[in-house]
Amino acid sequence: MAAFIVVVLSAVLTNNFITAKTYGICPFLGVSKKTSSAAGMGVAVTLVMVLATLVTYPIYTYVMVPLKIEFLEIIFFIFIIASLVQMLEAIIRKISPSLYNSMGVYLPLITTNCAVLGVTELFTNATMNGDKLDLGSLSQVISGVSESISMNLGWAVLYSLFAGLGFTLVMIIMSGMREKLNYYKTPKALAGFPIAMVTACFICMAFTVFSYISL
Amino acid sequence: MNKFKKITLDGLIFQNPTFMLVLGTCPTLGLISSAFSSMGMGLTVVVILTLSNILISLLRKVIPDAVRIPCYIVIIATLVTFARIFLYKYVPDLYDSLGGFLSLIVVNCIILGRAEAFANKHTVVESAVDGIANGLGFTAALTIMGVICEFFGKGSLFGYQIMDFGVGMLAKPAGAFLVYGICIAVFVYIIDCFERTRRVKANKLARENLLKEAA
Amino acid sequence: MTAKQFFKSNVFKCIAALLCVLLVCGVFLTLMNALMYVSPEEETDRAINKIYGQSVKKEKLAVANYFGNADIEEAYHILDDGNYLIRSKGKNGYEGGTVTCWIVVLVKSGKISGIGKIAITGNEKQSYIDRVSDKALNQFGQIYTEGIYYSPDLITNATVTGTKTAICNAVNGAIYFVNAQPGITGGTVNIYENFLYTGNIETNLTKHEVLYDEEKNVTGVKYTVVTSGYAHATSMTLEILVGTDKKITSITHVKGGGTNDDYINKALKNIPMFVGKGVDELLNFYNGGFEYPGEGKSDLLQTGASESTYTLFNAALFAAGNYDNCIALEEGGEENE
Repeated sequence: MAAFIVVVLSAVLTNNFITAKTYGICPFLGVSKKTSSAAGMGVAVTLVMVLATLVTYPIYTYVMVPLKIEFLEIIFFIFIIASLVQMLEAIIRKISPSLYNSMGVYLPLITTNCAVLGVTELFTNATMNGDKLDLGSLSQVISGVSESISMNLGWAVLYSLFAGLGFTLVMIIMSGMREKLNYYKTPKALAGFPIAMVTACFICMAFTVFSYISL
Repeated sequence: MNKFKKITLDGLIFQNPTFMLVLGTCPTLGLISSAFSSMGMGLTVVVILTLSNILISLLRKVIPDAVRIPCYIVIIATLVTFARIFLYKYVPDLYDSLGGFLSLIVVNCIILGRAEAFANKHTVVESAVDGIANGLGFTAALTIMGVICEFFGKGSLFGYQIMDFGVGMLAKPAGAFLVYGICIAVFVYIIDCFERTRRVKANKLARENLLKEAA
Repeated sequence: MTAKQFFKSNVFKCIAALLCVLLVCGVFLTLMNALMYVSPEEETDRAINKIYGQSVKKEKLAVANYFGNADIEEAYHILDDGNYLIRSKGKNGYEGGTVTCWIVVLVKSGKISGIGKIAITGNEKQSYIDRVSDKALNQFGQIYTEGIYYSPDLITNATVTGTKTAICNAVNGAIYFVNAQPGITGGTVNIYENFLYTGNIETNLTKHEVLYDEEKNVTGVKYTVVTSGYAHATSMTLEILVGTDKKITSITHVKGGGTNDDYINKALKNIPMFVGKGVDELLNFYNGGFEYPGEGKSDLLQTGASESTYTLFNAALFAAGNYDNCIALEEGGEENE
């Protein structure tokens, strides 16, 4: 149970993909103008992250490592992610057009998203570092727990699920702030990306507080 | 010759991938806390971008249109994997400081963007020049921000301690967002002023010509 | 669609192009991977060079495990400049944890001339290891003098006593190790090396004095024992008198020993229990064992400050158990007695 809490806190708050790792910034800046689209993008990224982990992790551990072709991981992973996204898009469009309109339209943008490839690479790095999941600053607070977490598919999927939820959380916070910003006039040079990045800076600063969590 | 000058200026300044188009944001934000790693990332991208532009331009008549994106991705992934193997063997310091962002070059929008927007329509030489210009534009932007962040964040430059002082925030993602945002604003403002004076000058010239004709 | 049509169609062209690109790329990468293979030896070599700061020729040394309160895990003699690079695991940190670090011991003309660099690579239970800054680690090199024995009080640039203790132990262990190498002279000689029960005693800070009466007969031994910190209990200095019957005559507390005065006073309440006891009786406190059994596991001692009491027990055991050794040392030193 303690290990579970540590992994969740680490994935959502202290090692948040946007505020701590700066993965997935393109959708973060590009699709955060409206809360509804930010939420749709967040859910789509979470879904693809979980599915990608579910597929790439077993392939890496049970096929690529025994065959000693770890060096081909980038090609394999990007292909797997691209085809997953294509399939998912087709399936969602077929099953539920309303869901497709709220979330599926963001799927094609996800293939070239660092967050998805980043999360799969994270676990292969963990496999290389003696099967330990990198929990960042939390692992120092609770060193006893992080030692007991050795990587397996369950932890990998759990971690990617909560990392995706953390991503969604920051997306929604950001979109809320940007919606409010629309009411004010910004200088011409600052309009658009610059003011969005300054906003993001404040969110990041707020999230650094979580690195002081101690259990 | 004028054509190459335009390509170069576009890549370096007027269509600068970092400041004007805001592409490839993840590695930018993740690495500008250190001038060495941001410059290393920039130079790696120069090499990969130039090679991918050359290869794609060479193969532009061979690859059928329907499968061009998967083919580009495979080529880029191969180059990134090669860069990874090469750096690990010969420049391990850089390999360590780039961390996860090295393999994430494959989803860097600049490379796929240039392949799609430029290399598959232009000759090999033009594509190579475009690759170098865009890569150097990226490198210059990253290095400038890396120097700012490292100097104010840690009081050092390229790893050499200059003074014993530092605003911790600037060495973290929060500071990276802030510096990136402000740099874009300043860059856009300068380009804006530059264009305005050029326009004023052109207008003046036109008026004088008109007056001369009238006289 | 006939086979011929298929081969001419766009679908076939697409598949063929994609497969060709994949194949060429795969072959190219496999080739490059084989060509630029980094062997495990090269990797360790690289890691060591990175710690040392420059690429050097080195010779791996055999390591022995016990050097005071440190385990020497790996050791290299740098052939270019004669220095030593040692990975040492210092014990007795905060909550009984450890700190592992690489230490560069500088050697000049057959003598240790300083501590070059300390790089912490790992720890157990040291949650505040971040508070040991480079400034604190550099202090080891700055205050080096010949025969120095590092104790946490000397490192003033960091405040975490437990973690500092472990790092000091690691550095002291490295210095011992280098002094024991052939070709290295000088350094401190540990007279308590062959003594019993030195596990939790800071043997370099501990002193003893054999007492005589007017007719030069031995009347006892007076120890000034400095214990190592144990878990929450910090280092403690005690004056212990041992009589000719090898039993403890008195114990006086000098300084240190607990996180606050309350704990020390609780521990000191047990002193009457130690007086008049010999080694065998002392060992009875912990049911014949020497290891710390845990909170409140002793039937005979008052609890409430059991870790501080345990360090007290260690000091008493060291004093009572080494009476003969002290006398032997004295006689060996003065032959004309």
